[in-house]
Amino acid sequence: MKSAASASLSNAHAPALRPEKVKILAVDDDRDNLLALQAILEPLQQDLMLAESGTDALRLCLDHDFAAILLDVRMPELDGFETAELIRSRKRSLHTPILFLTAYRSDEQLFRGYDLGAVDFLFKPIVPEVLQSKVNVFVQLSWSELLVRRQAEELARTERTFRAVLEGAPDAMVITSTTGEIQLVNSRTDTMFGHSREALLGTNIRNLIPEWTCPELISGGIAMLRGAPETRLPATRKDGSNFPAEITCSPFGVAEGYLVTTAIRDATTQVEAEERITRINQELEKRVAERTVELTRSNEALRQFAWAASHDLQEPIRTVLSYSQWLSQSITNELDEKQLIMLRFIEQHASRMHQLAGGLQQYIVASEAGQQAWTSVDCNLVLKTVLSTLQENIKESGAVIECDHLPVILSIEVLLVQLFKNLISNGIKYRSSQTPRIHISSLRGEDGWVFSVRDNGLGIEPKYFDYIFGVFKRLHAVDHSGTGIGLAICKAAVERLGGRIWLESAPGSGSVFYFCHPDLAHGEIESDTSNLLR
Amino acid sequence: MAKSNQIRRIFFAEDNVADVVLVREALERQSLNCELTAYPNAQAAILAAERCGTDGYPVPDLMLVDLNLPWGHGCDVLAAAARNPALNSVRKAVLSSFVGSPSDVEKARRLGATGFIMKPANLEEFLDDVGRQIARLLESSSAASQ
Repeated sequence: MKSAASASLSNAHAPALRPEKVKILAVDDDRDNLLALQAILEPLQQDLMLAESGTDALRLCLDHDFAAILLDVRMPELDGFETAELIRSRKRSLHTPILFLTAYRSDEQLFRGYDLGAVDFLFKPIVPEVLQSKVNVFVQLSWSELLVRRQAEELARTERTFRAVLEGAPDAMVITSTTGEIQLVNSRTDTMFGHSREALLGTNIRNLIPEWTCPELISGGIAMLRGAPETRLPATRKDGSNFPAEITCSPFGVAEGYLVTTAIRDATTQVEAEERITRINQELEKRVAERTVELTRSNEALRQFAWAASHDLQEPIRTVLSYSQWLSQSITNELDEKQLIMLRFIEQHASRMHQLAGGLQQYIVASEAGQQAWTSVDCNLVLKTVLSTLQENIKESGAVIECDHLPVILSIEVLLVQLFKNLISNGIKYRSSQTPRIHISSLRGEDGWVFSVRDNGLGIEPKYFDYIFGVFKRLHAVDHSGTGIGLAICKAAVERLGGRIWLESAPGSGSVFYFCHPDLAHGEIESDTSNLLR
Repeated sequence: MAKSNQIRRIFFAEDNVADVVLVREALERQSLNCELTAYPNAQAAILAAERCGTDGYPVPDLMLVDLNLPWGHGCDVLAAAARNPALNSVRKAVLSSFVGSPSDVEKARRLGATGFIMKPANLEEFLDDVGRQIARLLESSSAASQ
């Protein structure tokens, strides 16, 4: 018994309690007896107090709490029983265990003693081990009691904390059974719902939150409840009005099973804000959609206009050109020098106008989201076509065209033809005094093919690198037959193919035009064309 | 020899009189004995195409159609011609200042156009090339009809 008690104590809370000595009171009118008791109890290392009379004992009981009182029965003035009676009559010492020490084994004494609340009798002569053992039991008991008292205090403190948290919470907190029966609410609940706290107890939480459900019960056997995520449910006030509530349910275990804490937050402002955001977003989307339609319409109108303009301009200017040529052929002999020059200007500029309109048309073809199909294109054949259309220019300029073996790629052939044609003809057109040499090659880069067209022509100053890709931008005077749209066509074509065009050049050292071209597998076209053709 | 003396009829849907004059000049250079009838807009050309083969509207040896016409489109004229059985075996060609958008060319081809002549900007090219190409079309058309 002793060992069991001390074992459980030492296991659980002994380290914290051990240092606290327990008070034991020994009462005997014989000083020698007291000294003997003191000697016997010394090994327990507790705080032993001594009293030589019942009166002394009573006085000590006023100021101290004892784990046990050893009381000699036979004493002058107040005897042990009388002293015990008085000790018991006081509230403080009502439950203090009393051991009587007596030399007589009389039943009468025993009954009287037990009647007075004695817990035990020890008969003289006292066996030290027995006394030690009995007193030790009371020491342990006292420790247990202390522990229980502390736990009760702790519990009370926790409860107070819990109440404080509950009351201080910004949300209405409702504690219910798993079926929703309200057991506890905080004051926020009163103000939020308009019911008095007392009126709510015992009613069902569904009166407040009609759609309330107990959090999911995971694996019934183990009866674990899982906290439900925050949900938004309608809540009803006492006056019948509704408001949106944000609800978090978290269950916790108690002796009887499970309770559920439901935190309720009035989400009215949040919902309003959300609605406002949604409304603004919708409005924004609507505006973007309208703007897009407008833009698409104006883009289409612009495209049609550009197309018609380039096309319709070509027609009359071609006529002007033809007829001015005809006129100059038929009357050359009748004209003087000045008139001939005038006629030549008309021809020159009509010719240029015609080229510009043609270039514009090509540019529109290159940049338009057209119907040209992505197919497998052999770049070597593309180059062959290009060189045959440029035959005259090549022959006339004596240009040397070198070409590496080029890949077969997935592309739009028309655009590749335009690209190579413009880049090569530029190389010839803007040649230096040397024989034009143009080298075409390709390189497999990280995300596609990189093609290059290198010439030994005039070269371009880096500050013009961006400028030259603009529509009708020219660096050279009209006598160079360029229209200023060739590179704009190249840029539009490359961009439609999903690539990029750039150059390296310096005046006097030729130019290298590069363009990259995505290397698409057949399967990728479907998904990619939407981007590329945008 | 006999062929060149024979009068060949050319149906010409063309709104630009300047081009009609140029084509006439080109035909003259080829020493072709032709009767060129020009229709200045799509509606006039459609009407004529529908009537071909009836009294007073002889079937031409060649139909030349410009795609860009006022009051319609060259393809409408080709469509009208395709509906007229009398024009079934007549050679049809597009004569345009530019090749046209790929879809237009494809449409014209489906409607029976077999020749595509581009009007060059240069006078000499116009007079030589266009004349030569028309002559070739006339030859193949008479070969086909024989």
